Amino acid sequence: MKEPSKSNRWISALLLAPTGLWFAFMLVLPLIVILVFSFGERAAVGGYAGGFTFEHYANLGARLKAFTNTLTYAPLGTLLSLLVAYPLAYYLALKVNRRYKLMLLVLVIVPFWTSLLIRTYAWIYILGGRGIPNILDWIGFEGVRLINTPGAVLLGIVYGYLPLMVFPIYVSLEKLNKSLLEASSDLGASPFKTFRQVTLPLSMPGVTTGCMLVFILLMGEFLIPAFLGGGKVYFIGNALVDLFLQSRNWPFGSAISVTLVVIMLVTVSLYMRMTMRNNKTGVDESLM
Amino acid sequence: MRFYAIAVYLFLYVPIGIIVLFSFNAGNHASELRGLSVQWYAKALSNPFVGDAFTTSLIVAFTVAILSSLMGTAAALALQRLTGKMRILFDGLIYVSVMIPGIVIGIATLVALVTVFDFLNPLLASIWPAGFEAPKLHMGYASVIAAHTLFTMSLVIIMVRARIAGMDRALIEASMDLYATPWRTFYQVTLPQIYPAILAGFLLSFTFSFDDFIISFFVAGPNTTLPVYIFASIRRGITPEVNAIGTMVLLGSLVLLMTAQYLMREKRKDK
Repeated sequence: MKEPSKSNRWISALLLAPTGLWFAFMLVLPLIVILVFSFGERAAVGGYAGGFTFEHYANLGARLKAFTNTLTYAPLGTLLSLLVAYPLAYYLALKVNRRYKLMLLVLVIVPFWTSLLIRTYAWIYILGGRGIPNILDWIGFEGVRLINTPGAVLLGIVYGYLPLMVFPIYVSLEKLNKSLLEASSDLGASPFKTFRQVTLPLSMPGVTTGCMLVFILLMGEFLIPAFLGGGKVYFIGNALVDLFLQSRNWPFGSAISVTLVVIMLVTVSLYMRMTMRNNKTGVDESLM
Repeated sequence: MRFYAIAVYLFLYVPIGIIVLFSFNAGNHASELRGLSVQWYAKALSNPFVGDAFTTSLIVAFTVAILSSLMGTAAALALQRLTGKMRILFDGLIYVSVMIPGIVIGIATLVALVTVFDFLNPLLASIWPAGFEAPKLHMGYASVIAAHTLFTMSLVIIMVRARIAGMDRALIEASMDLYATPWRTFYQVTLPQIYPAILAGFLLSFTFSFDDFIISFFVAGPNTTLPVYIFASIRRGITPEVNAIGTMVLLGSLVLLMTAQYLMREKRKDK
């Protein structure tokens, strides 16, 4: 390859300029602003007044429940999605007839790209008073409450993010060399042993990617707890909406946002480092 | 195994089916089916708020899709040649823009823009010639479009870059060796190979923007988008009208996704 000429460099700079400006004004600047705000004072009418204080960070305990809920239900929801998604991905990648494969895969992915708002709304219907509880009532179980419980939120999570978990696992199982499975069974390994020692380790990159994608989205989740948690099971996202749009406590909200971003950066980096050490492959970049 | 798969598919599609079914409810109550009718569709379509919100969403999503596919593709092409510190910087920014929760983007954009506007508006008013009304900057179309584009642009960069990585470099070198100008090489060799990724990126950007609730919720200002309107309606109480709107939205996304899928498949066949 030739050394890039001067005009080539200019073209590159020109092509990158809009994106660079966008990142500067829509990502870096806003993040700096909330960082500054998080150390500021709250103005008398809400909003922000200048100042430098750590009081909002010291006060994070006031929203402790939102943090503990998020940090409990986000990993739990991720795990549940994984448990539901893995067998399906396995089935699609290794068992299903080639002719239907693509269609079945598309059927899993399509819901993810349709409105989460509307799909979550469906569960208000199903779990609400006139849905399943009504039917249970009818067959004799009275007064069962399903909506506004942790279970409802977890169900909504699995429903909403299942497609995102299935896809990467499917891709890594699909790439797996099928002759390895034959070799394993030819050598007398039981199906279970083949799965545990060959299939599962080789699908780890997909599992890692899927878990990371779902976990990241769950950390900032607002809709599912808002609809299915009904103010009882709320996440950091719900606390943020309340602080910015209802009580207009911008500095405190900023401090919570900054904390959320820091928690995410730390957990995701730790997670990536951990998985990279364990299976040497880490997150499958081809899927991103 | 097979039954399990069927069960999961039912789990995925029955709730959607229920929404669709109840959208044809002839009765007034949201969760009691009393015969079938299309009255709620008529009601939804004649509701001026729904119409306005739909138009807003359409304008926003279309602009977002165009901006992100143009800028994303340009950036992806430039990035493949970029090395060193700039490369690391851009990779980092792309990573952060994809990873950061939408709610934080919404909040940070709201807070930053309101602050900037509060600073700029008096300034504009003071330098504006007397007798004319100074423009007042506020949240609206531009802020939603800008905030959505941050995420979708990175999405396009990632998709186009994956395509470029899978491209046969020998073709480009051959074209150069045959004395094609760089522009011609791009137009006749690179573009035909990456265009399915650009088109898919365009459609995904459109769908993302059209379906996004949380970012628009914070930064749309007076320009209510359809998901924000639906959210507000659900908060007021569930009616079959919401189901009718929801069904139409689902149908729209379905058509777009099938198009994206079809385009990607065409490409695979070519290979």
